[in-house]
Amino acid sequence: MIGDRLKLLSNPGIFGSAALLAGIALLASRLLLYPPGNAFVFIEVGILFLFYGLLVLGLNLQYGFTGIINFGHVLFFGVGGYATAMLVAPESARGIALGLPWPIGLAGAIIAAALVAGIVGFASLPLREEYVAIATLAAAELFTDVTANLPSITGGAIGYVSIPQPINIWAGGHYGTFLTSTLLVMIGVLSFGYVVFRRLTDGPYGRVLRAIRADKEITDTIGKHVFRYEMEVFVFAAIVAAIAGSIYALFIGAAAPGLYTADVTFLLWIGMLVGGAGNHRGVLAGLGIVMAFELLTRFLNDLPYYTSQQFGALRLAMIGLLLIVIVRYRPEGIWGNAKEQGIE
Amino acid sequence: MVSTQTLIFGLVIGSYIGLAAIGFSLIHGLVNMFNIAHGEYMTIGAYLSFVLMNQLGLGLFVSLVLGIAATSIAGLAIAKFFYQPLYETGPIPLLLTSIGLSFLLRNVIQLGFGADNKYLEGGLTGVYRTDALGGFFLQYSQALVIALALLTILLLHLLLTRTELGIAMRATSNNETLAQITGVATIRIRDYVWLLASGTAGLSGILLAQQRTLTPALGYNDILIILTAAILGGAGNVYGAVAAGFFLGIVSATATSMLPSGMASLATSVIFFMLIVALIVKSHVIEGNRGVIAT
Repeated sequence: MIGDRLKLLSNPGIFGSAALLAGIALLASRLLLYPPGNAFVFIEVGILFLFYGLLVLGLNLQYGFTGIINFGHVLFFGVGGYATAMLVAPESARGIALGLPWPIGLAGAIIAAALVAGIVGFASLPLREEYVAIATLAAAELFTDVTANLPSITGGAIGYVSIPQPINIWAGGHYGTFLTSTLLVMIGVLSFGYVVFRRLTDGPYGRVLRAIRADKEITDTIGKHVFRYEMEVFVFAAIVAAIAGSIYALFIGAAAPGLYTADVTFLLWIGMLVGGAGNHRGVLAGLGIVMAFELLTRFLNDLPYYTSQQFGALRLAMIGLLLIVIVRYRPEGIWGNAKEQGIE
Repeated sequence: MVSTQTLIFGLVIGSYIGLAAIGFSLIHGLVNMFNIAHGEYMTIGAYLSFVLMNQLGLGLFVSLVLGIAATSIAGLAIAKFFYQPLYETGPIPLLLTSIGLSFLLRNVIQLGFGADNKYLEGGLTGVYRTDALGGFFLQYSQALVIALALLTILLLHLLLTRTELGIAMRATSNNETLAQITGVATIRIRDYVWLLASGTAGLSGILLAQQRTLTPALGYNDILIILTAAILGGAGNVYGAVAAGFFLGIVSATATSMLPSGMASLATSVIFFMLIVALIVKSHVIEGNRGVIAT
């Protein structure tokens, strides 16, 4: 009986609902949680992983299934964050700030991302694959550059720092409860995201996407409108990224150009390639490995001789090396399928 | 109207963008890859000149020659070790490897030299001022940057048109299989191209270090602008890349002078916007399998 119940939890949809309910229950109960002091950093990185997990699932739908090389995925995380910030931030903020309730902020993020992704996708997807990479990278750089330089609209380099944080407000400003309930809620959100992506790729739709990745021309010949599928995938993943960006802005209460740099996109790419593109669980695990590695090397900071800045450099150097090694020696990633990815 | 002063700033920026774009474009044409780590070759050149001038106390011109030579060899070694094993896998694994390499090199440089700003000593000092042409000033170091860029372009032109090596390079870029059939050892040609590309990038970095403070992200900060110049100039088209480099330099200087002070860094945005427009426009100009549009 209990065994059966536990088995139910291995279904990501039910597991996600349970986590979401637990998070809401925790907030409603007004319990004050005191995680041990050194656990905070793990929870914080865990939460960031859940946000980036939504991004990497979208990136994997684009690259792992459809073969679209998007080097600007962080753009939509940023669009979601800024749209929410502009709509929700109190009117005293520096850029546009409308002080509306957060659900409007979330809806605004979705609409803004759909529009931006529509434009970027329409302009870049007809290009050859490596040029799609460059065009999307440039679009993302353009976004951070423009937001950093228009103080009266986007708050400039500082951005927004006082966005109301709904979960924090419900938690009564108690940091332990706030973090734990955010963690639970985000486990729920990522699980739902996972179910949606799984459904999408397991069905006939996913087979068309894989066909596009394998050979665009043949897929076109058998009557599938390749460009339309690519646009759908591009916009859908962008919307998921914007939802993540919106919730992230509401979680940390801030949106700034420095949160949406190309480094985030590269981290996602490395996580995806390490785990194995084309495998939803694989890319999540790959991202987890890379982020855990980053977290663990953080503790080495306590060693003498090195400043934390130097350790940051060492960490990034090793992540760069990891990308080189993966591409050369295991291009299909740890859990990827070499045959499906067209690697001999 | 663009003032003479703005034009000078533009020519200086254009000089090192153009110089760096030459190598980027050559590699794009001959190896069929976007080398994102190209910016790091500039940084390597810049830090080499820092070691030679500040730490060993050598003169500017000796440092230039040694710096260019060392960067060329470093670039070739990197290509042999990291890129050559992937020559047959297509552009994407090469692009990803170059991103990894960019992270690796930039952060290794930071580990070696620290992240703090550095300033070159022993460069040219002095300024030429005049009231002619609406009044402008020209630092001797700026004049050196422009002169060396023009000299390099002239030498490169002679290499590509007057020597057997240069002609073989152009043949390989144009049609590798055909070049092979006519007896060109294309792998060896690629080696020479790597020497040339990283050497000019090194020179660009050394010149850039005369103008700006030296940080590990020196070259990386400009990589998208260099890439824009290479794409605007046409894949593998060296002259196009140089012309586009100078054009972007002048656009950037003009935009900086015209934008309000708080928004001056939007000049980069103007360039990124041009990159996207250039890609879209080019997608309508079909150039066979060398074009940017999907085939």
